[in-house]
Amino acid sequence: MAAGDGPGSERRSERARSAETGATRNGDIAVVGWAQSPMIRRTELSETQLLLRVITDALEPLGLTRADIDFTCLGSCDYITGQAFSFVSNLDAIGAWPPKRDSHVEMDGAWALYEAWLRLQEGDIEIAVVTGSGRSSTGDPALIYPMEMDPFYLAPLGVDPLTFAALQARAVIDAGIADERAMAEVAVRSRRDAIDNPNAQVKGDADVDTLLTGDYVREPLRRHDLPPITDGAAAMVLATGDRARQLRERPAFITGFDHRTECHNPGYRDLADSPSTRIAAAAAGLAGAPVEVAELQAAFTHEEILLRRALGLGDDIAVNRSGGALASNPIMATGLARIGYAADHVFGGGKRALAHSTSGPCLQQNLVCILEGDA
Amino acid sequence: MTRFVESSITFPYKRSLGPVIGAFMTGLTEQRILGIRSGDQVLVPPLEWDPQTGAELAVDDLVEVGPTGTIESWTWVPDPSEQHPLDHPFAFALVRLDGASTPLLHAVDSGSPTALSVGDRVAPRWRGTREGRINDFVFIPGETPEVEGTDAGPAADPVTMMDYNASITYRNPVPPVSDRLREASRDQRILGQRCPVCGRVYAGGRGYCPIDAVELGEEHDVDLPHSGTITNYTIITPVQYPGQTETEPFARVFVLLDGTDVVLPYQPVIELPVEDVKVGKRVAAAWAASNDDVDEGGTMGGAYGHLIGWIPSGEPDVDDPELVNRIF
Repeated sequence: MAAGDGPGSERRSERARSAETGATRNGDIAVVGWAQSPMIRRTELSETQLLLRVITDALEPLGLTRADIDFTCLGSCDYITGQAFSFVSNLDAIGAWPPKRDSHVEMDGAWALYEAWLRLQEGDIEIAVVTGSGRSSTGDPALIYPMEMDPFYLAPLGVDPLTFAALQARAVIDAGIADERAMAEVAVRSRRDAIDNPNAQVKGDADVDTLLTGDYVREPLRRHDLPPITDGAAAMVLATGDRARQLRERPAFITGFDHRTECHNPGYRDLADSPSTRIAAAAAGLAGAPVEVAELQAAFTHEEILLRRALGLGDDIAVNRSGGALASNPIMATGLARIGYAADHVFGGGKRALAHSTSGPCLQQNLVCILEGDA
Repeated sequence: MTRFVESSITFPYKRSLGPVIGAFMTGLTEQRILGIRSGDQVLVPPLEWDPQTGAELAVDDLVEVGPTGTIESWTWVPDPSEQHPLDHPFAFALVRLDGASTPLLHAVDSGSPTALSVGDRVAPRWRGTREGRINDFVFIPGETPEVEGTDAGPAADPVTMMDYNASITYRNPVPPVSDRLREASRDQRILGQRCPVCGRVYAGGRGYCPIDAVELGEEHDVDLPHSGTITNYTIITPVQYPGQTETEPFARVFVLLDGTDVVLPYQPVIELPVEDVKVGKRVAAAWAASNDDVDEGGTMGGAYGHLIGWIPSGEPDVDDPELVNRIF
């Protein structure tokens, strides 16, 4: 892509300066809308049908059609779907005729958003749609996820997501960062916050002492420390500069965006820390100004406590007011939904919000996205 | 109500192990656990590179560790899955083997969770017959390694390959249009759907128009003709992968239905030897008896129920050089 004298060149040079100085405010690419499917235990719709509806739901309120989309990037997982190249049929949901610019990530839609954000920086297109979709009910997550692990040392043992989470929870507890009561408190707050969220599966008033009488599912984790199994999809619309302001009165501009990974095998890592989160947050410029809210992809209670600490979030910052991944956990869309809820905060008049997504066993890879409204 | 179907997929992987992991797996058959030096660290399990720095590690730097070690973190698995190394409740733990800098994630057969604490000592219990796999052993409490049953001894040759088979059962909704199509095929009808926006007709569809991204319902169903022309084909010489039932070369053809733009892909042919399959061949639908059981899964081209394939109609071939391009 030539960096020429077109209308985008000024924006590009501004961004280049931002990159050089480490400043994160480039103010040019924004989330202008998003939608999510109903988040439920088992949907009767195919993944493609979920996407058909949710893309339409994201576009229609903005007065856009599929013909307006310059680029799409879809996040999904073949192993969850149980079909090789399942993303090919998901293309049917974007109406790829005449042929469209399209990409796919075998990751949460938050990473699809990252790719679209990069693509929009080329300056030659204005509108992108990203999605995350997963039907977790299709198979048994305890059998599917081990297949994605190290094929020599982990997969043959069938090490499942609950086991990874439990080993990390014990490491976090042993390091004195959390205890089972603090973890139950996260669950209680999440369920209470989720009461007003129509897309939350797990919600209501709960009592810490009562929760702590429950049996362990994977010691030290009890049922309330775990996310529900969720079918669902989310779609998000991005637009650049003036186009973003035409489409929404107060777009949520992406002013910082970074993701970092650690090595795969949790045995090689300090599980009581999340250095990749800390580095991604620094690179995204989290420290540059206070955020009012944070949406963290913490599918297990101890993860929220660990992530808050890695991000340096004080008690004054509202974390996961949506109920978070403990309320509904549509694998492959959970992270994108976090960014959506953070964008909602800005749409509604908020100044600055943090969204986080994660991938891999024991928070292996972490993504941090900062969203801001116009001053 | 939407119908769900279950299908099991087996993923048969055959992986080469390389010099470092191969040596580790070979060591397991000898009841030895190897780590690898990286600077002043000993990494267990060993890799060909340092996971923190990416520095390449040398096979010469493999060193024996353990076989006893100390539990650094653990969790209890009260309900083992079919993929787990034990069929009764057990612990997964991070075990720091003596002499190692990093813990190894593995199973501990400790009988009950109350018997476990961080800091506990464990030793391997080896399988009698070891294949050179990470599950050639599990840990047991204590300081004394054991062998389960008769010790068949180390592998005769270095272990270089590893098989990994996972089988997953998936449960997926059947699009209502598929059920209507299958039901119609019992009455020797080929059902399609016409998009109300663009007018295109789809056969074997999933209930939406991929061009206009709109959903199609029963009101969009249309009947399709039973005759057509082969536009393209392939002759498949079966490779005997797991699940392959064909043994002789067979054809899959693409059929353009008369008077429509609809192409049925990957269709079987009947009473048409592979050497006679050609572009332009005229064919007619062949049906199973309405009370016959038919394959629920269908083929790569989709499930067409009682439409079991295409049979030569006897009409003269169509001579149209453009036909071959019609695969969609």
